[in-house]
Amino acid sequence: MSPYTKLIITTSLLLGTTITLSSSHWMMAWTGLEINTLAIIPLISKSHHPRAIEAAVKYFLTQATASALILFSSLINAWTTGQWDITHLTHPTSCLLMTTAIATKLGLAPFHFWFPEVLQGSSLTTALLLSTVMKLPPISILYLTSHSLNSTLLTIMAIASAAIGGWMGLNQTQTRKILAFSSISHLGWMTIIVTYNPTLTLLSFYLYTIMTSAIFLTLNTTKATKLSTMLISWPKMPTLNATLMLTLLSLAGLPPLTGFLPKWLIIQELIKQEMAPTTTIMAMLSLLGMFFYLRLAYHSTITLPPNSTNHMKHWHLTNQVTFPIAIFTSMSIALLPISPMTLPTP
Amino acid sequence: MIYLVLALAVCFVLGGLAVASNPSPYYGVVGLVLASVAGCGWLVSLGASFVALVLFMVYLGGMLVVFVYSVSLAAEPFPEGWVGQGVVGYVVGLILVMVVGIVVGDFVGSWKFGVDTVDGVGLLSVRLDFGGVAVFYSWGVGMFLMAGWGLLLALFVVLELVRGLSRGAIRAV
Repeated sequence: MSPYTKLIITTSLLLGTTITLSSSHWMMAWTGLEINTLAIIPLISKSHHPRAIEAAVKYFLTQATASALILFSSLINAWTTGQWDITHLTHPTSCLLMTTAIATKLGLAPFHFWFPEVLQGSSLTTALLLSTVMKLPPISILYLTSHSLNSTLLTIMAIASAAIGGWMGLNQTQTRKILAFSSISHLGWMTIIVTYNPTLTLLSFYLYTIMTSAIFLTLNTTKATKLSTMLISWPKMPTLNATLMLTLLSLAGLPPLTGFLPKWLIIQELIKQEMAPTTTIMAMLSLLGMFFYLRLAYHSTITLPPNSTNHMKHWHLTNQVTFPIAIFTSMSIALLPISPMTLPTP
Repeated sequence: MIYLVLALAVCFVLGGLAVASNPSPYYGVVGLVLASVAGCGWLVSLGASFVALVLFMVYLGGMLVVFVYSVSLAAEPFPEGWVGQGVVGYVVGLILVMVVGIVVGDFVGSWKFGVDTVDGVGLLSVRLDFGGVAVFYSWGVGMFLMAGWGLLLALFVVLELVRGLSRGAIRAV
């Protein structure tokens, strides 16, 4: 891609995200989301493969529909209440429409069908952008409108997302689709707590971003898009393989790694809200995800494929472990001890 | 008078229906013209004549012309017509969707088409839509710049998608 195009796309992604994050008027929030959608389309279709083009088209259609729903919801609210403030969404139709629009933007079940295919069609770095940066504006809108959204629908979508993310991820061999379903399941955890304690949604999203960035960047170093490639990537970078296992288990939510922190706090808050059956269901559905994370860890680190006896670590390294991988990996393994910082200051 | 607005609204919806169930883009754009003319008429009836004229000019004089030129460059020799394979199915399906939407959304109970107007009365007051455009250039210049950047970005994205002729993303070009 020409460097001018890359500059325009990068600038527009940053601009769109910043506009939506810093807006209090629905028009500016919608403008930022549209700029983001437009800017990432050439990135998804960069490889000019038919699957990538189809992924770009699917992404554009679903996100444009969701943006139109956001626009309609804010217009209905402006028509009936006369103001455009994001935090003052009061009309019931607006609230319901906004819930479905945010769900489509994020990829919550039952509006998740675009997400695995879009992720599969894009490169690993674009998939990283789609899972982390492109989710930041809708999560911020979810946080700001959390008191006005339809909580019944949000809870149903959250449990459905955890279920679908867990079950559909079980039969996948392509790592990008596995990470797409893991994203859907994590979004389910983020959504179930948003009406009770929206700060936990943000915490869960930040930690999810760190962990999934570590995974995507690690997979990008060895270009491991399938399980079979992960199986033979151990001689290239043995240390990275070991940390990949720990990062995957952190994403699964295993203590004492970082990924346990959001789940722990969310379960605590749900129990305080007397939603014990919901909590049990969510925890059981995360076990499904645990299985495919364990399978990924097994294929990358725990097993060695049958090889000749003198097969050793490659002496000539062509791909480098970069600085961000080190940062994100250490953060995704060792951040659980900061949990006392989540307590309110006395 | 209220039936004029109702007729315009029905034409608007029918135009949208024609666009959605088109057998080929040449016939879909006819629906688009009908929908935009009806939409302009509706806006005029609400009192926003300036915005209606701007919509007319930009939509029909700008976007439609660009569409016609690009379609004439990449034309199909034998496009499907309205009386064709699955067109009737699409039209019937979309009419059903519309009826469900009207019934579920309870739009039948309130025939409030064109009752409210948006312009104020007075000798020296500025019309609301024209005043709104002025605000867009003065206090709302941030939104103006962002909207302008968004439109320019759409141009760059389309240029990037069709770059490379038959090796590019849109291979039919």
